[in-house]
Amino acid sequence: MAGIRLHVIAPLVLVAVGKCARDPSVYVRKCAASALPKLYDLRIEDNNSSIEEVVGILLNDNSPGVVGAAAAAFASVCPDNFSLIGKSYRRLCEILPDVEEWGQIVLIGILLRYVIAKHGLAKESVMSFLHHTETPHVGEDDPTTNFMKEETIGMMDTANSELTHMICRSYIEGPDEYLSRSSYINKGSNTLDSARYTSSKSNDDVKLLLQGTSPLLWSYNSAVVIAAAGVHWIMAPVENVKRIVKPLLFVLRSSHATRYVVLYNIQVFAKAMPSLFAPYYEDFFISSSDTYQIRSLKLDILSSIAMDSSVSAILREFQDYIRDPDRRFAADTVSAIGLCAQRLPAMAETCLDGLLALSRQEIFSSEFGSVDEESRVLTQIIMSIKSIVKHNPLRHEKVIIQLFRKLDSIKVPAARAMVIWMLGEYNTLGGIIPKMLTTILKYLAWCFKSEALEAKLQILPAIVKVLYNAKGDDHLTVRKVVNYVFDLAECDISYDVRDRARLLKKTLEYNSGPRILETENSIPAEKDLQHAVLEHLFGGNLKPVSPEPPNSRFYLPGSLSQIVLHAAPGYEPLPKPCSLLQDDLDQISNDIRGMDLNEMNDSNTSSGSLDEETASDYSSQNSISGSSNNSDSYENGSVSEDNGNNEPLIEISEVGIAPRNENVDPQSSLAVGELMSKTALESWLDEHPGLANKDQSDSNRVRRTSARISIGDIASRVKPKVYTLLDPANGNGLKVDYSFSSEVSSISPLLVCVEVLFKNCSAEVVPEITLVDEDSNSQRDSADQLVVGSESTVPSLSEVPHLVPLEEVTSLEPGQAIKRTIQVRFHHHLLPLKLALLSNGKRIPVKLRPDIGYFVKPLHMSIEVFLDKESHLPGMFEYIRRCNFCDHLVELNKDKSQGAIEKDKFLVICESIALKMLSNANLFLVSTDMPVDSKLDDAKGLCLRFSCKILSSSVPCLISVTVEEGKCSEPLNLSVKVNCEETVFGLNLLNRVVNFLAEAP
Amino acid sequence: MLQCIFLLSDSGEVMLEKQLTGHRVDRSICSWYWDHAISQGDQQLAPVIASPTHYLFQIVREGITFLACTQVEMPPLMGIEFLCRVADVLSDYLGGLNEDVVKDNFVIVYDLLDEMIDNGFPLTTEPNILREMITPPNIVSKVLSVVTGNSSNVSDTLPGATASCVPWRTTDRKYTNNEVYVDLVEEMDAIINREGILVKCEIYGEVQVNSQLSGLPDLTLSFVNPNILDDVRFHPCVRFRPWESHQILSFVPPDGQFKLMSYRVKKLKAAPIYVKPQLTSDSGTCRLSVLVGVRNDPGKIIDSVTVKFQLPPCVLSADLTSNCGTVNILTNKSCTWSIGRIPKDKAPSMSGTLVLEAGLEHLHVLPTFQVAFRIMGIALSGLQIDKLDLKNLPNRPYKGFRALTRAGQFEVRS
Repeated sequence: MAGIRLHVIAPLVLVAVGKCARDPSVYVRKCAASALPKLYDLRIEDNNSSIEEVVGILLNDNSPGVVGAAAAAFASVCPDNFSLIGKSYRRLCEILPDVEEWGQIVLIGILLRYVIAKHGLAKESVMSFLHHTETPHVGEDDPTTNFMKEETIGMMDTANSELTHMICRSYIEGPDEYLSRSSYINKGSNTLDSARYTSSKSNDDVKLLLQGTSPLLWSYNSAVVIAAAGVHWIMAPVENVKRIVKPLLFVLRSSHATRYVVLYNIQVFAKAMPSLFAPYYEDFFISSSDTYQIRSLKLDILSSIAMDSSVSAILREFQDYIRDPDRRFAADTVSAIGLCAQRLPAMAETCLDGLLALSRQEIFSSEFGSVDEESRVLTQIIMSIKSIVKHNPLRHEKVIIQLFRKLDSIKVPAARAMVIWMLGEYNTLGGIIPKMLTTILKYLAWCFKSEALEAKLQILPAIVKVLYNAKGDDHLTVRKVVNYVFDLAECDISYDVRDRARLLKKTLEYNSGPRILETENSIPAEKDLQHAVLEHLFGGNLKPVSPEPPNSRFYLPGSLSQIVLHAAPGYEPLPKPCSLLQDDLDQISNDIRGMDLNEMNDSNTSSGSLDEETASDYSSQNSISGSSNNSDSYENGSVSEDNGNNEPLIEISEVGIAPRNENVDPQSSLAVGELMSKTALESWLDEHPGLANKDQSDSNRVRRTSARISIGDIASRVKPKVYTLLDPANGNGLKVDYSFSSEVSSISPLLVCVEVLFKNCSAEVVPEITLVDEDSNSQRDSADQLVVGSESTVPSLSEVPHLVPLEEVTSLEPGQAIKRTIQVRFHHHLLPLKLALLSNGKRIPVKLRPDIGYFVKPLHMSIEVFLDKESHLPGMFEYIRRCNFCDHLVELNKDKSQGAIEKDKFLVICESIALKMLSNANLFLVSTDMPVDSKLDDAKGLCLRFSCKILSSSVPCLISVTVEEGKCSEPLNLSVKVNCEETVFGLNLLNRVVNFLAEAP
Repeated sequence: MLQCIFLLSDSGEVMLEKQLTGHRVDRSICSWYWDHAISQGDQQLAPVIASPTHYLFQIVREGITFLACTQVEMPPLMGIEFLCRVADVLSDYLGGLNEDVVKDNFVIVYDLLDEMIDNGFPLTTEPNILREMITPPNIVSKVLSVVTGNSSNVSDTLPGATASCVPWRTTDRKYTNNEVYVDLVEEMDAIINREGILVKCEIYGEVQVNSQLSGLPDLTLSFVNPNILDDVRFHPCVRFRPWESHQILSFVPPDGQFKLMSYRVKKLKAAPIYVKPQLTSDSGTCRLSVLVGVRNDPGKIIDSVTVKFQLPPCVLSADLTSNCGTVNILTNKSCTWSIGRIPKDKAPSMSGTLVLEAGLEHLHVLPTFQVAFRIMGIALSGLQIDKLDLKNLPNRPYKGFRALTRAGQFEVRS
């Protein structure tokens, strides 16, 4: 049913789901859980909190099947509401292996997030281990110290630790924000520097999670394996991380698609911690059935995990790969050899020898030149050689010489260009190369004509570089050669070559005048400049063939973003470590806080049952107090006209220390309402010892209390919420706000009165403002438009216009504000009404959002009638929801800070609840009851009753707000009950009430 | 959350479309996918593709592309793994996968997808339970549906397992003869490099159980030498604790055939068979000879021996003969030499000449030979089942054990 995407039935479905969530059948509960995301998907904001409530219930379920589905619901409904997890964290960890596999994937992710948010990162994990060992003095959340740290690590080599650090940061902050690094609180650094072995070993929560996930590494489902591996990767102590290796490698023996994804993840792990996978290099050997992507991933991993012990085996393997029929793969292998050699300088010689030998072979094969792919291999060979040589040119002088010697036989333009570049770059190197230079240059000049474009472009700067460094006799020869080449180049077909030749010639001429006279060393600055210019001009040539920059973006292991290398929509980095601590204090119940303080002696079950016990205690108390309450209020209500009746009650409360019973019942009937409330309050105030200010405060209060009931006074105390209809930015400086008024329309009961406040924020006069109904204008015929236009027409009930417009505001001066009342008929109590604002001939479409709280009008009734009606509307007409309320705290704090006479806390609570209700809905306050036997500071049992009837159908609707739990000076847990025959309306009203009650003041 | 699943035929036609959430995915994504696939040429596509509008997961089974789309972050393996399950279940139901059979059984495919995924989240993927909810097609049901006009395959009652604490098993199974068969099926992966050295040799094995037992039996399986196992993976029914402590498999089996566990045994010393290829090239032709023989006699007959290899693209033509078995060369230059059973008296050999492309003196790329074989009655890893205990059973069941080894990725480089 949840799959029917109809907004109208959503509340009904929600109730059904809520009931199913408590069904005895596992399957029903599971289906209820899987229905929740669908409901959430409808984006009815009012429902969200109740959906979360149901998720919470289902997460607490005992059946693994239900928990799995609930986890999925949690992840899509409220992934950040960790308090729901906190309640049952331990049980979730224990149940994890039994949850069905798809649920496991999601649940693991949730638990990981929760642990990070609550306890921060584990200290001995890969993420922070290297980091800690190298910098014992850990800076906290200071960005500058962090920077320092990172640099010192970078200095101390182990590029890995830096990488790990980066990965870790990326996980938490998301790579996009990585650079704008914010505070980074390590769990360990939070507590103690020296206490290095806290977290994952001593922290029970972390340990539990690791215990729960480690059997999952044996799962058949590769997604589960990856998820579990991710947890271990992030949280497990370094010495335990190796547990993930074998399962990960085992997963490699499944389908191609899986293999690809797993390799992607292994790639990151291997880069950060090569030692992890180093012994298992054999598993990354390539088989002929692997696809190209898998091959290149494996090569990459192999080259990053090669160790001194394994590199010879790996290189032997590589030699086989080079003969593979897939030449692209062979080229990749060559570059992997280059990487290996760079990682392990000891192997550089061997690699170079091998590569040189290869290049000889390849030259042979490339002689017939037709095969495009062979040239790619050769280019790659030269490139690898180049990159190896770059690390230590002096040592590899011979290699360079060999390459120069072979220049003749290297035919592939790109490879040739690269050798020529090396010629220019290393022309001063060692003793032998300078001697060869003239010969090589002559050779180059000789074959310049037949060169390919790419090589030509390299020859030009190379010979110029040589020219700069040439000495004595050589200089003259070189000069001749250079001039010859320039002459040739200026007649070249390619304009690019011509241009460059001219440019170089000019710069040379400019330079060579003084140069011939003086010694060449005299103008180093100029030379440098020249070099810089040359580098700049031609450096770009190498780019297309240079290897890809290493991937520096890291996402959580197993996430989609890691594969596509950008943050997919909905990707969330791990929560900030320890970010939950603050929330803990406010939200999570006491047992969690106990765990937080590391007093985790009591197991979850015991604390859970304890919790339940106390809860049941509460409820039993509740019922007792409730019943006594009721009887009292009956009594009270029956004789409420008698003023004297209140006196003995007050006397009781004066005598009793803790228990008291207030029956602030300000308005049994409207006629005596004001008087009654006054007297009630007066009598109530009697118990205050300080009577000095009595009169003043008294009158004050009486007026306030009466504000609850008298409509005329509503503006002073009850402030209806103001919504924006039109922003000044959109409306040429015209600002339109609206608020729902509690007036009842005189025209038709279907109309809702809305006060519209026009304000001119611009500097000009805005003429002719009016609001019309957009739909009616476009759809209805002209006669109806007339109706809309002329106010005087009296519409019949069936033909109520959507909008009874206001009189046109003829003009609005700058800064002037004007208030009008319109009467609107909404199509539905949730869907906004489209209106058009006509001003100055322009038409601006606006949306008027309905507030269900004003689809009712106050229904005056006495408490007996209320209770009677309530008893007639049981079962399916009754809906209950809970919420937190903290408005009164503001009031209480204000009192405290002002040092004014201490008001009674109960009164403040009553006032603030009533105020909140009345400011947000058009209700009638029937009664306010207080528990008799409550303690001084315990607001439990306080009950306010409101009544109203629905505008359109005149169906009565009863609302009772009861304080379920909470001290006066803390947030209260309220339960709101609505009794109404109109199910859908009642539910929506309930949702609205709960939402505004839970709203911050 | 997956948003949509498409099944594409090998010509790019959308055979089936299943929208999973309220956010419809337009079919145009399929044509984008197909264009992308064509633009990549013969090379295989990555399993995860980021298209301009959606992220695509794709797997290809028997020419049918299973394509799933999502727009939000989700574990990619979840998508891929699910598609694999769908493919498995479909081929199980339909007795193989191809375009025609999918088109013939649309109703069943949709029914299955309905049960397997809900709102983009996998729901019931256990094949045994699916089988109970949706009856597999057979001739009787087809005839029935034609006669009665009732085309629904979905059973009216909910399978009992959905409510039980063992979701993979129905509670009320009754068999007259209780039987349980345990098969060890092993695959040998090996790489032999150019020098003829065994670089890698390992066994990937599965314990397959076919259980036909009444009631809710509790089985315990133990091995003689569990310590040789390098790594394991379990069916969800296996309890982790006994394995951790005693390396004993304790489980309540699902009904019928299932994979109880899979394992890996690494670093084996020898392969049962040797394949020695030799290539010598000289002035435009290349002489190829391949020798096959038994190396370490496992004591059982090695049969179904085949050697497959792909001739390099620079080879123009090949002429190969063998003294045993048949040699087939296909137009795409893939060669298959099927030997069958290795004869006792002579060593099978294949030889011939390859003619290279004009201008090419030597063969510079070398093919890899993939070897397949099968040995019945032995598990080459040496793993042995100790005993199988059954509890909760009314009468003594029949227990059967078998073993089989075949070649997995057995590769010989030349």
